[in-house]
Amino acid sequence: MSSAPQTTDYRKYLDPRTLARIGGLDLRARLIVEGLMTGMHRSPYQGASVEFAQHRPYVFGDDIRHVDWKVLGKTDRVYLKQYIEETNLHLICVVDASESMGYGTIQSGGATWTKYDHATAIAASMSYMAIQQQDSVGLAVFDNQLKKYLKPSNSPAQWKTITHELTIVPRTAKTGTGHVLDQLAEKLTHRSLIVVLSDFFDDLDGIKKGMRHLRYKKHEMMVFQVLDPMEIEFPFEDVTLFKGLEGLGELLTEPRALREGYLEQLNQFTDEMKKMCRGMHVDFQRMNSSDPLDVALSNFLATRSASIK
Amino acid sequence: MREVPFILAAFVTPAFFVAGILLAAIPIVIHILNRRRYKTVNWAAMEFLLRAMRKNRRRLKFEQWILLATRCLLLFLVATALARPMGCKDSTLAAIAGQRSGLHVIVIDNSYSMAYEAGRPNAATHLDRAKALAKELIATFSAGGESVSIVVASRPASAVLAAPTYDIAAARDAVDRVQQSFGATDLLGALRLAQEIAQKEKNLGEKRLYVISDGTRSAWETAEADAVKQLAPQLAQTFRMTHFNLGRRDQWNQAVLGVRPSGNLVTNKLSNDLIAHVQSFGSGPDPLLQWKLDDATLPGGGQVHFTAEPKDLAQSAAVFKSGGAHIVTATLNGEDRLRLDNTRHRVLDVVSDLKLLIVEGERGMTRMNGSGAFLELALAPPQEGPSESGATRSNSYVAPELISDLELGNKVLGDYRAVVLAGVGQISPTQADQLALFVKNGGALMIFMGEPVAAENYNQVLLPRGLMPGALTKRVTAGSGNNGFNFDFKPHAGVHPLLAEFANIARSGLDTAQIYTYWQMELKPDAKVERVLDYLAGANGTTTAPANTAQNKDPAITLHQLGLGRIIVVTTTADPNPEWTTFPAKPNYVTLMHELLSGSVSTADRWMNVSAGERLVVPTGIKFTGTPTLTDASQREIVLEPLPQGGVAAYRSPPLVRPGIYRLSTGAATVPIAVNIPPEEADVRTLDDAAIKKSLGDAPVELQGDVLPIAVSGVATAGNDFGWPFMLLGAMLVAAECFMAMRFGHYRRT
Repeated sequence: MSSAPQTTDYRKYLDPRTLARIGGLDLRARLIVEGLMTGMHRSPYQGASVEFAQHRPYVFGDDIRHVDWKVLGKTDRVYLKQYIEETNLHLICVVDASESMGYGTIQSGGATWTKYDHATAIAASMSYMAIQQQDSVGLAVFDNQLKKYLKPSNSPAQWKTITHELTIVPRTAKTGTGHVLDQLAEKLTHRSLIVVLSDFFDDLDGIKKGMRHLRYKKHEMMVFQVLDPMEIEFPFEDVTLFKGLEGLGELLTEPRALREGYLEQLNQFTDEMKKMCRGMHVDFQRMNSSDPLDVALSNFLATRSASIK
Repeated sequence: MREVPFILAAFVTPAFFVAGILLAAIPIVIHILNRRRYKTVNWAAMEFLLRAMRKNRRRLKFEQWILLATRCLLLFLVATALARPMGCKDSTLAAIAGQRSGLHVIVIDNSYSMAYEAGRPNAATHLDRAKALAKELIATFSAGGESVSIVVASRPASAVLAAPTYDIAAARDAVDRVQQSFGATDLLGALRLAQEIAQKEKNLGEKRLYVISDGTRSAWETAEADAVKQLAPQLAQTFRMTHFNLGRRDQWNQAVLGVRPSGNLVTNKLSNDLIAHVQSFGSGPDPLLQWKLDDATLPGGGQVHFTAEPKDLAQSAAVFKSGGAHIVTATLNGEDRLRLDNTRHRVLDVVSDLKLLIVEGERGMTRMNGSGAFLELALAPPQEGPSESGATRSNSYVAPELISDLELGNKVLGDYRAVVLAGVGQISPTQADQLALFVKNGGALMIFMGEPVAAENYNQVLLPRGLMPGALTKRVTAGSGNNGFNFDFKPHAGVHPLLAEFANIARSGLDTAQIYTYWQMELKPDAKVERVLDYLAGANGTTTAPANTAQNKDPAITLHQLGLGRIIVVTTTADPNPEWTTFPAKPNYVTLMHELLSGSVSTADRWMNVSAGERLVVPTGIKFTGTPTLTDASQREIVLEPLPQGGVAAYRSPPLVRPGIYRLSTGAATVPIAVNIPPEEADVRTLDDAAIKKSLGDAPVELQGDVLPIAVSGVATAGNDFGWPFMLLGAMLVAAECFMAMRFGHYRRT
């Protein structure tokens, strides 16, 4: 099942430059997930169900708790017992669809890969994986208010609905993360794993308040700050007129002179975010939209695994 | 001349300064254009950008402005450095930081007198010291900032470095190339050259002129002294002048200043006295004089006792066995320190057959009845008895040829040394032109009156061509029965050099000769005519002269110059004629005619004797059978330059530098050429500072000795050039600009 060529091959579906050429979000997500799973040694499909599904040979790295000792005793062969899992997780993908998320500079085949594209790819992939494992998946899309909210469901049709919603949401308004998270905290009745995908170009105190509200409601949280490589590196040289999205005005400047100050401000904000998340036991991950998606998804799988134990 | 604004006058090349002001605006223009040319980017993380901007606004503005100012200043400084600003005179800042700028013209006197051996350590001659001094001066100049020109003052003055050089090493090499000349001093020419150099380099800041000479009379008391006196104050307006006097007060020299025959003409038919003109300038031990003729030592000579005055020492033992060029050499064997002028060569053209053309205007039944026959007889009397061929032979150095005026047109006058017109009636303009050319080329012309002479023709044809000294105005005749006119000859009073033979001789015949008819001649007031002999006025009351004054006496014999030749006019006849004169019957007539002839015939050796530094000019009368070649004493060939035809000279040499005997090969013969030190260079007596200052028209001049004073080595705190400091500052700004541009500037990485 695992081989070197395949391992190399699946990577291409995690690369944003490849994904930018793939039209539909559902197809993107499926390719990402299948590709990722194919390359993993450790089976992600183990669960805590009692309904036996099948035996499979042991491979190095498998948890020895699932070894079928009886078979070992009789045949001297190491097999694992596998069970059909049951739903035990509510995943809520919270995706920022403000105007700033529409910024992107990665070009491939005439298409531009935006931060929103990156965020939706992650959200769709996670949703796909969750539904495949019988978890319930919900969706919240927001800008300065909660634009769309889909209640968690483990129905296979839920994934289609999620991808469809992620595709059609317009991105024209400002961000209001804190306010939206507050709203979401009020809506959610079950304890859930909430994955927030945003650039978080917003008021930090508001974000903090919203997250604290969610944590108060005992929800697990994963926070992905999605940034474009230009935003991270700020490599501009020539005199540039920066037109701020979300109505933040204009600035004509020599970017080279301002680079140091800008990066200082950005990193300071990120550090504060990290510090805040750490204080609330929330996983924080800054994502470069040019980086492959496996990091985000692996983190998600690890978190999910830990949360269902 | 248009006034230059003060600010621009402070730069060597003001155009660069103006360009710098314009260039300084370029970064500002680029900055403005860049602010207009930008790209637009939609930006999500605007909040962080704005925060960064708010925090760094002041710093950014400061960096931008300082970078812009640096760029402007950089261009301005580079242009200003190229404009080479000059500091204020004698300012401390100039002395510390400024590189000096200016033009230094060094005039080195390398004339012969500078060869004086002054006995300085490491400098054998004055010129050696002058060159060392010049190099010491140059060593004080600022390389790259101060330019140097070198001029040498031996005749003709020339520039060793005409175009000022900033290369100090090249200037020193140029000084090393200055060679000892054997010519005279051409101080005027050297100063004029310095003036020309300064005029060409108007923008070169402060200009200084250094004249390094031995301060001798030979350099300063020349014929051009007045011109130097006038020029020096003009130079002082351009230059700061300094004179270094290398001369020693006690220096002395003995020299043979000239060697000449006692008479105008030297022949191998008569005895000839030679005279050496010697002088001691300053006091020294008595030398010995030695004579040589064609390398053979002559008796005579001996020790010379010098006084303050020059001496003429005669040599009577010279016997010329043949005609042609002979070399006479007089040498003073002494202990002086300028040896070359102790020897003087003289090439003499010894005449064996002086070809004379006598043109008769009047011919009679017999040969002796002609108007020139008596003159022919007087100049070349026949030997006793006829020759074997039957022709009449003479022992005279004169070889006359008697022709009638009708034959004159058929003769090539260049074949003769002298032409006599004896009572020729009329001269055609063509013949007059030929005669004028003949005289201008050095020929001698003697004109005698006679019955056929047409005064109107003479006045119209000969007078305008300079062949007559004045117009023939009236034929003066003593009345019948009256005594004739007498020559105004006083043997004991001053006599003309041509009549020197008759001086102090009573009853020589000149005073008693009777002249019955002569042509009155009105001399041109501006003509340079020598009256050799006049008629005694009022002797018998018939002369037209109103009073017995020199100005109003009628001239009997005149002498005047035309070109290289001389013309003698005798206002009466050359033959004994009872109607004109009885003088030819006098015994001294022969002597007088010989004296007039020898005195008027140009010595043909003049061109064979030149001074060092002069050119040899070969006259057209010299016949060549091949291409002429000139070799110096060391047998080195010197190329002769052919001159255009129709002139008085056929070839010309370059300046002959070294003294000695040169040889000119004409093809069939070889002619010696004597090149001597100019006699004026022998006078090594020095002038004091006051006299030199006076010679320079009392122009402001620093007078120095033969060492470089401290004040001069510090020359030059004045007019310092700040070009290099500005350039250095510009280079520092380039580094600063690069750093700032890397740090916070706008530059493109490609």
